Amino acid sequence: MKYLPYVLKHLRRNWIRTGSTVMAMAVCIFLFCTLQTIIAAVNYGLKSASASRLVTRHSVSLVYNMPLAYKERIAQIPGVKRVAISNWFGGVMGLPPDFTKFFANFAVEPEDYLAIYPEYVLSDAEKQAFFADRRGAIIGPDLAERFGWSVGSTVQLESTIPPYRIGRPFEFVISGIYEVDEVRYPGTDGRLFFFHHKYLEESTRNRAGAGTFSIEVNDPDQAAAVGKAIDAYFENSDVRTKTETEAAFRAGFVSLAGNLALLLNGIGIAVTFTILLVTANTMSMAVRERRTEIAVLKTLGFGSGLVMALILAEALVLGVLGGGLGLILGKAMIGVLPSLPLIGDVARAFPNLGLSPLIASLGFGIAVFLGLAAGLLPALQAYRARITDTLRTV
Amino acid sequence: MSGNGKAPMVAVEGVKKVYRRDAEEVKVLDGLSLEVPEGDFVALMGPSGSGKTTLLNLIAGIDRPTAGKVIVAGTDVAQLGESELARWRSRNVGFIFQFYNLIPVLTAEENVALPLLLTNLSKKERRERALTALKVVGLAERSQHYPRQLSGGQEQRVAIARAIVADPKVLVADEPTGDLDSKSAEEILALMETLNRDFGKTIVMVTHDPRAAQRAHTQHHLEKGVLSL
Repeated sequence: MKYLPYVLKHLRRNWIRTGSTVMAMAVCIFLFCTLQTIIAAVNYGLKSASASRLVTRHSVSLVYNMPLAYKERIAQIPGVKRVAISNWFGGVMGLPPDFTKFFANFAVEPEDYLAIYPEYVLSDAEKQAFFADRRGAIIGPDLAERFGWSVGSTVQLESTIPPYRIGRPFEFVISGIYEVDEVRYPGTDGRLFFFHHKYLEESTRNRAGAGTFSIEVNDPDQAAAVGKAIDAYFENSDVRTKTETEAAFRAGFVSLAGNLALLLNGIGIAVTFTILLVTANTMSMAVRERRTEIAVLKTLGFGSGLVMALILAEALVLGVLGGGLGLILGKAMIGVLPSLPLIGDVARAFPNLGLSPLIASLGFGIAVFLGLAAGLLPALQAYRARITDTLRTV
Repeated sequence: MSGNGKAPMVAVEGVKKVYRRDAEEVKVLDGLSLEVPEGDFVALMGPSGSGKTTLLNLIAGIDRPTAGKVIVAGTDVAQLGESELARWRSRNVGFIFQFYNLIPVLTAEENVALPLLLTNLSKKERRERALTALKVVGLAERSQHYPRQLSGGQEQRVAIARAIVADPKVLVADEPTGDLDSKSAEEILALMETLNRDFGKTIVMVTHDPRAAQRAHTQHHLEKGVLSL
């Protein structure tokens, strides 16, 4: 510790250089944390995907709906146990719509959907209340907590999707709040809102159609074959289908954003490598400028190992400062991400979006590694520098 | 043995120093021997390239002889390993450079206290010793000044304070007045005389300046790596 003031004084020697290096490293760690958090959120969502469930959608895009009649035909295909219609409603509260209060909401067929998705745990009384009330809705515990809703609360939502807009908001009554069992069903999103598909159909005068079909198969090992059979059945129809496993569907949904994660991950790696080079260059310059000083330290009796350690300590401090700042920036960014325009919609779709201790530790570790790696070569040069050679060339 | 029967503070015995430049060998010191008694003040003079600084570096333990022995304060420095030699230097030798070589980001007091970081002294003790050393060189009131805020002569005095702060037995000075005006040079030489006379420091000084050399008790001349009185 007695050497720390000496190390810090050197970092303050050229504070613009030190500051810009720390900032560069902070940006790198900020990028890493933000990207990894998004990727972790995506993976968290995929965790809840069941191997026995398929999702069928319009072969062209999720934007287009399919005929409701497809449900009966899919149900007749061998291997299919149960089918439920599910539509992304895109409803928003407030007039004009307040997107800061956005949450995911779906129109579903209550009985079939809850049978296919046992992870939304409801008491029998709540289930019956939901089934019986056409305007009824069930919500997740996180959503209830966020808005202070309870059973009996009324909610008004207006869809952002043109066919679902009826000139007034849809009105719902909360019938139940489902429970999330993280042990049995990890990755269950506690922020969802489900209501009757019939309500949507009636209110839109049957314009709604089916956004997706959630399908439970008898044998998970046959899921791929059943999916192929479904798509083959509609091969010659006007509206062809695309059926995939639930995990693939969710992963594909994420890739709708242009495979953002892969792209940004690539950028992140490039930035990290660049920062390593920049920091290494900065450290080399700092050490080169101090060749005489290093020779003087050695003349005074500082061992080569100690001189090397002092330079590595400087690099370490740069890493710690950059990592710390990067984490603060990353945490702040992840916090405001859901309220940002455009990207906020995507961010809000992910449950559990937050900087995890694991990612924070990894980010900090990378910063420390970057600092040490950047300082290693200059430190080795200082270690090897011979006093007489250095003093002679000054 | 020196004349008074005591072992000399510095004993250089048949030292050779050869540098290699590519395939060529450059003989800098050629079987040189020298004894400096404890408490002596020795000046090494000679033309450029005569081997003065090389000899000084060998005595200070920052270079090793190709052959021969360099015994300083009873230790054959050539026998010490790299880290042992560094420790030995910190305890036994104070080095005064021509260009002062103070650390620019440290205050005068911090510069002087630098060698004490290698000791087990507390921060308070290190500070007290640094201030004492600065008092000896007459710069206690400038302890919080940075090198850029000091004149050349003052910087060299701070460098001398740094050289004596760990109370070494031997002071080696490589042209300590070479970068100073005559008034400052005079002050530095007077200070070195004081350190020799009042504090009993053994001093070996390399200089080109005959007036500086006259302040020493003994003058040695080097010519092509060989000593001549």
